[in-house]
Amino acid sequence: MTAQEVRLCGLLLHEHFGEVVEKVGTHLLRSGAQNLRTIIHETGLSVDLVKKSLMVLVQHGACLFSSGRKGPGSPTEYRSGCDRILRILRYPRYIYTAKTLYGDTGELVVEELLQRGHMTMSGTVKTVADRLTQNMEEGRSMDYSEVSSAFSKLVETHFLQRCPKLAGAGTADTSAIPPTPESFPDCYKVPHMTLVGRGKRQLAAEDGEDQRNAKRQKMDSENSESVPGIYWQVNFERFHLHFRDQAIISAVANKLDQTSSEIVRTMLRMSEVTTSPAATCTKPLSANEIFRSLPASYNIPRPILDQYLTLLVDDPMEFVGKAGESGGGMYVVNLHRALANLARATLESVVQERFGSRSARIFRLLLRKRHLEQKQVEDFAMIPAKEAKDMLYTLLSQNLVQLQEIPKTPDYAPSRTFYLYTVNQLPTARMLLQNCYKTVANLIERRLFESKESKRLLEKSQRIEAILASLQASGAEPEQLTEVEEMITAPEKQQLDALKLHINKLDSAENQVDETIFLLESYVNSTATSTG
Amino acid sequence: MAEVKVKKEANLSDPAEVENRIKELCHQFPQGITDQVIQNDLPHLEPQQRAMAINKLLSLGQLDLLRNSSGLLYRLKDSQSTSKMKGSDNQEKLVYQIIEDAGNKGIWSRDIRFKSNLPLTEINKILKNLESKKLIKAVKSVAASKKKVYMLYNLQPDRSVTGGAWYSDQDFESEFVEVLNQQCFKFLQSKAEAARDSKQSPMVQRNSSFATSHEVWKYICELGISKVDLSMDDIETILNTLIYDGKVEMTVIAAKEGTVGSVDGQMKLYRGVNAVIQPTGLVKTPCGLCPVFEDCHEGGEISPSSCIYMTEWLDF
Repeated sequence: MTAQEVRLCGLLLHEHFGEVVEKVGTHLLRSGAQNLRTIIHETGLSVDLVKKSLMVLVQHGACLFSSGRKGPGSPTEYRSGCDRILRILRYPRYIYTAKTLYGDTGELVVEELLQRGHMTMSGTVKTVADRLTQNMEEGRSMDYSEVSSAFSKLVETHFLQRCPKLAGAGTADTSAIPPTPESFPDCYKVPHMTLVGRGKRQLAAEDGEDQRNAKRQKMDSENSESVPGIYWQVNFERFHLHFRDQAIISAVANKLDQTSSEIVRTMLRMSEVTTSPAATCTKPLSANEIFRSLPASYNIPRPILDQYLTLLVDDPMEFVGKAGESGGGMYVVNLHRALANLARATLESVVQERFGSRSARIFRLLLRKRHLEQKQVEDFAMIPAKEAKDMLYTLLSQNLVQLQEIPKTPDYAPSRTFYLYTVNQLPTARMLLQNCYKTVANLIERRLFESKESKRLLEKSQRIEAILASLQASGAEPEQLTEVEEMITAPEKQQLDALKLHINKLDSAENQVDETIFLLESYVNSTATSTG
Repeated sequence: MAEVKVKKEANLSDPAEVENRIKELCHQFPQGITDQVIQNDLPHLEPQQRAMAINKLLSLGQLDLLRNSSGLLYRLKDSQSTSKMKGSDNQEKLVYQIIEDAGNKGIWSRDIRFKSNLPLTEINKILKNLESKKLIKAVKSVAASKKKVYMLYNLQPDRSVTGGAWYSDQDFESEFVEVLNQQCFKFLQSKAEAARDSKQSPMVQRNSSFATSHEVWKYICELGISKVDLSMDDIETILNTLIYDGKVEMTVIAAKEGTVGSVDGQMKLYRGVNAVIQPTGLVKTPCGLCPVFEDCHEGGEISPSSCIYMTEWLDF
């Protein structure tokens, strides 16, 4: 919970939920677990507002509550964590992945769930069907069953999960850790419901019709919702595993060739549900199984597959390892090692872009050889002494390289001490991760600043659009339309276009930095689980 | 035989004769004779007389005193060097001997002082004298640019002093290294591409994209871009820098003794590789490359709202 993380969380909360929720959220992040009275007192907001904000946060899983520290009778305490709030940054990536895997229906299901936090299946299905029907042509509507099947598919592949039942306020909850969703055996079981109906189109109807529609809708919901109380949420961990697999596959494709990446993709797909999220490597797969599961379009003969597997094992990057000889050779994908290599490549790329390729050479040299003296660095890297010294000192001042002193005498006399340069991958990765958070916060702030600067212009253009829309709906003549359009002058239009371009650029930059954040976070988490 | 014996008897009492006898013995054993050998040859000679004769020869500069593991050795000095030292006194001879012993690595003036126990002023005077006589020369060391090592005039300085092939006149030739770097990389890259286009089975593809260090060495020699002769070790250091650039990877395989290019039964193979990832997302933003990243915060003089790098980047 560093300062940069709290700042970024504050900005994200403000953008998605508003100022009040941001205030309560950042207060909780900074002060740890607190009960309701303390929160009200310290934020200075009214009881009502604080309650509503806490509700919003709990609905989205950003805040957890448990009985107080002093015992079962004391008021409940609320605490929130940075990780869940930082996921908000990644929503576009989740939605895009759902779209590529399950089409528009899947995309809308995931989008709805991300927006609402927790929702029942029937509620989701109805809303998504309505939205899809809106975009379809006249006379056609989306059937509920299609949406339900998309929903079930998402649950089967563990992308969605049931929300865990939280203990009530009165029960003595001995365990301090809230139960994880996975601890429930029914986590991924879709309840057997029959949702009958079709999506309803939102029409600009008169009030009478609206009332009738509302009544009919209510009756429908009573008929079809047979299982109340089961709420569903998006399973972020599963999406993260998917992203990690994608990163590994594209790295293999870059390093070797397309066929090797297809083989690795097959191996990862086969072990999707059998490998636990924190595993160091996948379960061993025999070459026979891999051969059978390869996609039909790639019909490579069996000996060639064996050769590819041998090449993958021999590669210095160690993506794939051999675990045994039975079944034609047992192969595993080394997940933690792949993550470490990807994180290392990220560090090297940052040094290369920021300081030049010669500094990158020194950095890679130190990563390989661990500890080196100044003279040795110059000799190995074949860089003149003066320049090498300069580069090393710049890297040292940016904390990317550390100095290790080895004294020859008990007093650390400088003339009688060895000074060795070294790079520690994990602390450097953590430092870069914090820099990424700061960068994203900077980009968001710049975006807000740009919109604020042109607020007047944006409001004017919105007004004109509204006038245009209403004129078009009531069937005005073309001259009136052009007259209204001319109310925006040409330079203003240019300004608006430039503004749109800027905001899009800043938005896409946020997503790109988020990719780096994902890699570094996965690497740091993987080392934590393996050593801890 | 009798004459020899008589001669020997006569030698015993004449110191000059003793000296001559010792010199003849030295001629017989050019690598040097020990005290034991002289004693065996002249068994009736008293140790004192022997010592006197040896000292006389040493002071005349006709005999060299050396030490080996078993004791002292006396060796005849060749006449050429004896003529050089005419007119020099003992101290100069001592200093000259120390410099000669240092071979082609040269010796620093402070080390000369330690070995000869002469004061600094004396050493400097002697060194100037010897330099003017063109017997020794000073060579600037590449390791510490202020340090001067002294060696005999006609000796070629050792590689560790001049820096070897990469240094010319004490300057590191970085353009030369860069050119070699590029050439080696192009050679390995074209080999890898040729292997990829051949569309054979992957194992064969990979093996044909490898090049041994010997092949690279031959290619560079044939290119003829180097004025200096480069050894295979030099080429290997260049290839190592390519590994540190992340463009090349290396494996070691066992090779039969006697195949061309193998060293101690192993061969090093090099191959061009592609990068593992594209440049990461962080560096696509101005903040990733910003030199004042640490000073930037909202409300300060450097802040995201007023950042000039961002303005430039947005208008790009």
